[in-house]
Amino acid sequence: MKIPLQVYPFAGGLRIMVSFLLRYEDPHMFLPIQAIVDTGSPITILGIADLKRARVSFLQLKKLESRKEPIAMGGGQLNTKILRSAKLKFENLLESSLNILIPTEEVQGISPPTILGVDFLIENKLKLIFNP
Amino acid sequence: MVAQELNILQDFEKDSLWFHKNIGLLRQQNFTGKFVAIFNEKPIASDTDVDNVIKIVEKKSISPAAVFIEFVYPEGYTLLL
Repeated sequence: MKIPLQVYPFAGGLRIMVSFLLRYEDPHMFLPIQAIVDTGSPITILGIADLKRARVSFLQLKKLESRKEPIAMGGGQLNTKILRSAKLKFENLLESSLNILIPTEEVQGISPPTILGVDFLIENKLKLIFNP
Repeated sequence: MVAQELNILQDFEKDSLWFHKNIGLLRQQNFTGKFVAIFNEKPIASDTDVDNVIKIVEKKSISPAAVFIEFVYPEGYTLLL
């Protein structure tokens, strides 16, 4: 099974990107996402713009489990919540269940995109072939 | 994946492709430093605040969840993740 990736110049260089449908029950989320595949990131995290597109309120986010340790991103630190076993659907190729972090605050001046990290590759026993 | 889901994803990918192919044009049209919403291969809303972009999209009776929204970084700006 191969998941097709796209390579686009974005924010200063070529990035490996992939699109999928994200589905979650409570809070309800159902939206297409474009993520950067980042083998330098151990975690998968939703970008602020994608989180806002999902129209999830801060009240709904409060119910979610918090990740104890903040994560470092874009020169700052972010507190996050955890979407346990979120469903990621890649066309008819793969449906994966993964814990995804969601930021509970914004990093001033930048808008980090959604990142699909190494956890996704490990969970699904995938390897990345990068040949632009 | 049911046909409807596949359509949502394919439309979204089409708009993301348009965004990446036309990033230079978007910069020329003063979208740099703004979030821009692309729908049916056209920019339909922009603002420095993503919340405002979402409000504009909703006013057009379009679900923001289905719309490709991305930040237009200045040329040469490198975002380290």
